[in-house]
Amino acid sequence: MFHNPETSVGSPIRITVMQGQVYVGTGSHEILTTVLGSCIACCLYDPVARVGGMNHFLLAEPSPNSGTVADQNYGIYLMELLINQMMTRGGVKSRMKAHLYGGANMYAGMARIGDANACFARGFLSEEKIPVLRNDVGGEMARRVDFDPVMGRTRCRTVEPVAAPAPKPVVAPHSGGGDLELF
Amino acid sequence: MSENIRVLTVDDSASMRALLRAALTSRGYNVSQAEDGVAALEWLTDNGSDIDVIVTDINMPRMDGFGLIEALRGQARFRDCPILVLSTESSDDKKARARSAGATGWIVKPFDAEKLDTALRRVTH
Repeated sequence: MFHNPETSVGSPIRITVMQGQVYVGTGSHEILTTVLGSCIACCLYDPVARVGGMNHFLLAEPSPNSGTVADQNYGIYLMELLINQMMTRGGVKSRMKAHLYGGANMYAGMARIGDANACFARGFLSEEKIPVLRNDVGGEMARRVDFDPVMGRTRCRTVEPVAAPAPKPVVAPHSGGGDLELF
Repeated sequence: MSENIRVLTVDDSASMRALLRAALTSRGYNVSQAEDGVAALEWLTDNGSDIDVIVTDINMPRMDGFGLIEALRGQARFRDCPILVLSTESSDDKKARARSAGATGWIVKPFDAEKLDTALRRVTH
Protein backbone atom coordinates (compact mmCIF):
# COMPACT_ATOMS: atom_id res chain seq x y z
CA MET A 1 0.00 0.00 0.00
CA PHE A 2 1.01 3.63 -0.45
CA HIS A 3 3.83 2.62 -2.78
CA ASN A 4 5.77 5.70 -3.76
CA PRO A 5 9.24 5.56 -5.32
CA GLU A 6 10.27 8.83 -3.70
CA THR A 7 9.52 7.83 -0.17
CA SER A 8 9.51 4.04 -0.05
CA VAL A 9 13.10 3.64 1.06
CA GLY A 10 12.81 1.74 4.32
CA SER A 11 9.68 1.10 6.29
CA PRO A 12 7.44 4.02 7.12
CA ILE A 13 7.14 5.22 10.65
CA ARG A 14 3.63 4.47 11.87
CA ILE A 15 2.12 7.23 13.97
CA THR A 16 -1.05 6.40 15.90
CA VAL A 17 -3.34 9.40 16.25
CA MET A 18 -5.31 8.84 19.42
CA GLN A 19 -8.60 10.45 20.39
CA GLY A 20 -8.02 14.09 21.26
CA GLN A 21 -4.85 14.35 19.20
CA VAL A 22 -3.65 16.11 16.07
CA TYR A 23 -0.61 15.11 14.06
CA VAL A 24 0.84 16.81 10.99
CA GLY A 25 3.43 14.97 8.94
CA THR A 26 7.03 16.06 9.24
CA GLY A 27 7.87 15.33 5.60
CA SER A 28 9.58 12.03 6.36
CA HIS A 29 8.11 8.65 5.46
CA GLU A 30 5.24 8.36 7.92
CA ILE A 31 1.86 6.67 7.95
CA LEU A 32 -0.72 8.16 10.29
CA THR A 33 -3.17 5.59 11.58
CA THR A 34 -6.20 5.49 13.83
CA VAL A 35 -9.21 3.35 14.69
CA LEU A 36 -12.60 4.99 14.85
CA GLY A 37 -16.03 4.17 16.16
CA SER A 38 -18.31 7.17 16.60
CA CYS A 39 -15.30 9.49 16.57
CA ILE A 40 -14.29 11.35 13.43
CA ALA A 41 -10.86 11.60 11.86
CA CYS A 42 -10.31 14.38 9.37
CA CYS A 43 -7.33 14.02 7.06
CA LEU A 44 -6.25 17.31 5.49
CA TYR A 45 -3.80 17.59 2.63
CA ASP A 46 -2.23 20.44 0.71
CA PRO A 47 -1.07 18.94 -2.61
CA VAL A 48 1.26 21.83 -3.42
CA ALA A 49 3.09 21.98 -0.10
CA ARG A 50 2.71 18.18 0.16
CA VAL A 51 1.85 18.45 3.79
CA GLY A 52 -0.90 16.50 5.46
CA GLY A 53 -2.29 15.88 8.90
CA MET A 54 -4.95 14.02 10.82
CA ASN A 55 -7.06 14.71 13.88
CA HIS A 56 -9.33 12.44 15.92
CA PHE A 57 -12.19 13.91 17.86
CA LEU A 58 -14.86 12.52 20.17
CA LEU A 59 -17.61 15.14 19.95
CA ALA A 60 -18.63 17.99 17.66
CA GLU A 61 -18.87 21.13 19.78
CA PRO A 62 -20.29 22.10 23.16
CA SER A 63 -23.64 23.81 23.43
CA PRO A 64 -23.06 27.56 23.11
CA ASN A 65 -24.09 28.50 26.62
CA SER A 66 -23.22 25.29 28.45
CA GLY A 67 -20.08 26.73 29.98
CA THR A 68 -18.15 23.74 28.65
CA VAL A 69 -14.72 24.52 27.26
CA ALA A 70 -14.29 23.50 23.62
CA ASP A 71 -11.16 21.50 24.41
CA GLN A 72 -9.38 18.53 22.86
CA ASN A 73 -12.54 16.44 23.04
CA TYR A 74 -14.26 18.64 20.49
CA GLY A 75 -14.02 18.89 16.75
CA ILE A 76 -14.33 22.65 16.76
CA TYR A 77 -10.99 22.88 18.57
CA LEU A 78 -9.19 19.99 16.90
CA MET A 79 -10.20 21.12 13.41
CA GLU A 80 -8.71 24.55 14.01
CA LEU A 81 -5.63 23.05 15.60
CA LEU A 82 -5.14 20.80 12.57
CA ILE A 83 -5.54 23.66 10.09
CA ASN A 84 -3.16 25.89 12.04
CA GLN A 85 -0.51 23.20 12.39
CA MET A 86 -0.81 22.56 8.64
CA MET A 87 -0.26 26.28 8.02
CA THR A 88 2.76 26.27 10.30
CA ARG A 89 4.24 23.54 8.09
CA GLY A 90 3.62 25.51 4.89
CA GLY A 91 0.07 24.47 4.11
CA VAL A 92 -2.31 27.02 2.61
CA LYS A 93 -5.92 26.80 3.68
CA SER A 94 -7.36 27.56 0.26
CA ARG A 95 -5.45 24.60 -1.21
CA MET A 96 -6.42 22.08 1.45
CA LYS A 97 -8.51 19.01 0.64
CA ALA A 98 -10.22 16.83 3.21
CA HIS A 99 -11.11 13.20 3.78
CA LEU A 100 -13.57 12.33 6.54
CA TYR A 101 -13.85 8.98 8.28
CA GLY A 102 -15.70 7.50 11.22
CA GLY A 103 -18.94 8.70 12.75
CA ALA A 104 -20.39 5.22 13.16
CA ASN A 105 -23.43 4.58 15.33
CA MET A 106 -22.25 1.37 16.87
CA TYR A 107 -24.55 0.94 19.82
CA ALA A 108 -28.30 0.64 19.36
CA GLY A 109 -30.28 2.75 21.78
CA MET A 110 -27.52 5.30 22.30
CA ALA A 111 -27.64 8.83 20.98
CA ARG A 112 -26.48 8.96 17.39
CA ILE A 113 -23.22 10.69 18.27
CA GLY A 114 -21.61 9.46 15.09
CA ASP A 115 -24.18 11.20 12.92
CA ALA A 116 -23.80 14.43 14.88
CA ASN A 117 -20.03 14.28 14.56
CA ALA A 118 -20.15 13.69 10.81
CA CYS A 119 -22.69 16.47 10.33
CA PHE A 120 -20.49 18.86 12.27
CA ALA A 121 -17.36 17.95 10.32
CA ARG A 122 -19.04 18.40 6.94
CA GLY A 123 -20.52 21.72 8.05
CA PHE A 124 -17.21 22.97 9.42
CA LEU A 125 -15.35 22.12 6.23
CA SER A 126 -18.09 23.68 4.11
CA GLU A 127 -17.86 26.91 6.11
CA GLU A 128 -14.09 26.89 5.75
CA LYS A 129 -14.44 26.21 2.01
CA ILE A 130 -12.31 23.08 2.22
CA PRO A 131 -13.57 20.48 -0.27
CA VAL A 132 -14.23 16.95 0.98
CA LEU A 133 -12.81 14.48 -1.55
CA ARG A 134 -13.79 11.36 0.34
CA ASN A 135 -16.48 10.99 2.93
CA ASP A 136 -16.71 7.53 4.47
CA VAL A 137 -18.84 8.09 7.56
CA GLY A 138 -21.82 6.60 9.35
CA GLY A 139 -23.00 3.02 9.41
CA GLU A 140 -22.47 0.68 12.34
CA MET A 141 -18.94 -0.55 11.78
CA ALA A 142 -15.65 0.61 13.24
CA ARG A 143 -12.99 1.78 10.80
CA ARG A 144 -9.22 1.73 10.60
CA VAL A 145 -7.75 4.62 8.65
CA ASP A 146 -4.21 4.94 7.31
CA PHE A 147 -3.01 8.22 5.84
CA ASP A 148 0.18 9.08 4.01
CA PRO A 149 0.66 12.78 4.79
CA VAL A 150 3.23 13.35 2.04
CA MET A 151 1.23 11.83 -0.82
CA GLY A 152 -2.21 12.58 0.61
CA ARG A 153 -3.37 9.01 0.16
CA THR A 154 -5.74 7.30 2.53
CA ARG A 155 -6.98 3.80 3.09
CA CYS A 156 -10.04 2.99 5.15
CA ARG A 157 -11.14 -0.48 6.18
CA THR A 158 -14.01 -1.61 8.35
CA VAL A 159 -12.91 -3.60 11.39
CA GLU A 160 -14.56 -5.46 14.21
CA PRO A 161 -16.19 -3.10 16.74
CA VAL A 162 -13.93 -4.47 19.47
CA ALA A 163 -10.98 -2.88 17.65
CA ALA A 164 -12.35 0.60 18.30
CA PRO A 165 -11.53 1.94 21.75
CA ALA A 166 -14.58 2.89 23.79
CA PRO A 167 -15.10 6.62 23.39
CA LYS A 168 -14.54 8.59 26.56
CA PRO A 169 -13.57 12.17 27.26
CA VAL A 170 -9.88 12.93 27.48
CA VAL A 171 -8.79 14.79 30.57
CA ALA A 172 -5.65 16.71 29.72
CA PRO A 173 -3.24 18.08 32.29
CA HIS A 174 -3.70 21.78 32.84
CA SER A 175 -1.67 23.54 30.18
CA GLY A 176 -2.55 27.15 30.89
CA GLY A 177 -5.04 27.15 28.05
CA GLY A 178 -7.49 30.00 28.38
CA ASP A 179 -5.36 31.96 30.84
CA LEU A 180 -4.39 35.52 30.02
CA GLU A 181 -0.67 36.22 29.72
CA LEU A 182 -0.18 39.96 29.85
CA PHE A 183 2.79 41.46 28.02
CA MET B 1 -19.86 45.91 33.51
CA SER B 2 -19.39 43.93 30.32
CA GLU B 3 -22.71 45.32 29.00
CA ASN B 4 -20.86 48.39 27.78
CA ILE B 5 -17.75 46.71 26.41
CA ARG B 6 -17.50 46.70 22.64
CA VAL B 7 -15.27 43.91 21.35
CA LEU B 8 -14.09 43.09 17.84
CA THR B 9 -13.14 39.44 17.35
CA VAL B 10 -10.99 38.52 14.36
CA ASP B 11 -10.86 34.86 13.36
CA ASP B 12 -10.95 33.12 9.98
CA SER B 13 -12.91 30.17 11.35
CA ALA B 14 -16.65 30.73 11.03
CA SER B 15 -17.28 28.10 13.68
CA MET B 16 -14.92 29.80 16.11
CA ARG B 17 -16.53 33.16 15.40
CA ALA B 18 -19.92 31.66 16.23
CA LEU B 19 -18.58 30.16 19.45
CA LEU B 20 -17.01 33.46 20.48
CA ARG B 21 -20.14 35.42 19.63
CA ALA B 22 -22.30 33.11 21.72
CA ALA B 23 -19.89 33.20 24.67
CA LEU B 24 -19.54 36.99 24.67
CA THR B 25 -23.06 38.13 23.81
CA SER B 26 -24.44 35.91 26.59
CA ARG B 27 -22.22 37.88 28.98
CA GLY B 28 -23.45 41.20 27.73
CA TYR B 29 -20.70 42.20 25.33
CA ASN B 30 -21.40 44.16 22.19
CA VAL B 31 -19.69 41.92 19.64
CA SER B 32 -18.48 42.73 16.14
CA GLN B 33 -16.55 40.27 14.03
CA ALA B 34 -14.14 40.10 11.11
CA GLU B 35 -12.77 37.11 9.23
CA ASP B 36 -9.13 38.23 8.86
CA GLY B 37 -6.81 41.18 9.31
CA VAL B 38 -7.88 42.92 6.11
CA ALA B 39 -11.56 42.71 6.99
CA ALA B 40 -10.78 43.93 10.51
CA LEU B 41 -8.92 46.99 9.24
CA GLU B 42 -11.78 47.77 6.85
CA TRP B 43 -14.31 47.48 9.65
CA LEU B 44 -12.19 49.58 11.98
CA THR B 45 -11.76 52.28 9.34
CA ASP B 46 -15.50 52.83 9.49
CA ASN B 47 -16.19 51.95 13.13
CA GLY B 48 -12.88 52.30 14.95
CA SER B 49 -14.03 54.78 17.53
CA ASP B 50 -16.72 52.33 18.60
CA ILE B 51 -14.43 49.60 19.87
CA ASP B 52 -12.97 49.00 23.34
CA VAL B 53 -10.91 45.85 22.81
CA ILE B 54 -9.80 43.63 19.93
CA VAL B 55 -9.36 39.86 20.16
CA THR B 56 -7.49 38.38 17.23
CA ASP B 57 -6.38 34.99 15.97
CA ILE B 58 -2.88 34.68 14.51
CA ASN B 59 -3.05 32.26 11.57
CA MET B 60 -5.38 33.86 9.03
CA PRO B 61 -5.30 34.32 5.25
CA ARG B 62 -4.69 37.70 3.56
CA MET B 63 -3.42 39.38 6.76
CA ASP B 64 -2.48 37.45 9.89
CA GLY B 65 -2.75 38.62 13.47
CA PHE B 66 0.79 39.98 13.58
CA GLY B 67 0.17 42.13 10.53
CA LEU B 68 -3.09 43.38 11.99
CA ILE B 69 -1.50 44.37 15.29
CA GLU B 70 1.37 46.18 13.56
CA ALA B 71 -1.06 48.03 11.28
CA LEU B 72 -3.21 49.11 14.21
CA ARG B 73 -0.31 50.25 16.38
CA GLY B 74 0.79 52.39 13.45
CA GLN B 75 -2.43 54.40 13.74
CA ALA B 76 -2.65 56.94 16.55
CA ARG B 77 -6.26 56.14 17.43
CA PHE B 78 -5.46 52.45 18.09
CA ARG B 79 -2.19 52.99 19.92
CA ASP B 80 -3.81 52.44 23.32
CA CYS B 81 -6.58 50.03 22.36
CA PRO B 82 -6.10 46.67 24.12
CA ILE B 83 -5.38 43.88 21.64
CA LEU B 84 -5.45 40.30 22.86
CA VAL B 85 -4.24 37.36 20.80
CA LEU B 86 -6.44 34.25 21.02
CA SER B 87 -4.66 31.41 19.27
CA THR B 88 -3.95 27.70 19.28
CA GLU B 89 -0.30 28.74 19.07
CA SER B 90 1.66 28.84 22.31
CA SER B 91 5.31 29.02 21.31
CA ASP B 92 7.57 31.59 22.95
CA ASP B 93 8.79 32.96 19.63
CA LYS B 94 5.25 33.65 18.44
CA LYS B 95 4.43 35.34 21.73
CA ALA B 96 7.59 37.40 21.50
CA ARG B 97 6.65 38.48 17.99
CA ALA B 98 3.18 39.51 19.15
CA ARG B 99 4.64 41.42 22.09
CA SER B 100 7.03 43.18 19.73
CA ALA B 101 4.18 44.07 17.39
CA GLY B 102 2.32 45.68 20.28
CA ALA B 103 -0.14 43.07 21.53
CA THR B 104 -1.48 43.57 25.04
CA GLY B 105 -1.62 39.89 25.93
CA TRP B 106 -2.01 36.31 24.77
CA ILE B 107 -4.61 33.63 25.45
CA VAL B 108 -4.08 30.06 24.29
CA LYS B 109 -7.04 28.18 22.85
CA PRO B 110 -9.10 26.30 23.81
CA PHE B 111 -10.63 29.29 25.48
CA ASP B 112 -12.71 29.21 28.61
CA ALA B 113 -15.56 31.70 28.33
CA GLU B 114 -15.32 32.69 32.00
CA LYS B 115 -11.57 33.29 31.74
CA LEU B 116 -12.01 35.25 28.53
CA ASP B 117 -14.63 37.40 30.23
CA THR B 118 -12.26 38.05 33.13
CA ALA B 119 -9.41 38.89 30.74
CA LEU B 120 -11.50 41.32 28.71
CA ARG B 121 -12.73 43.14 31.79
CA ARG B 122 -9.18 43.29 33.13
CA VAL B 123 -7.69 44.94 30.05
CA THR B 124 -10.56 47.36 29.52
CA HIS B 125 -10.68 48.79 33.05
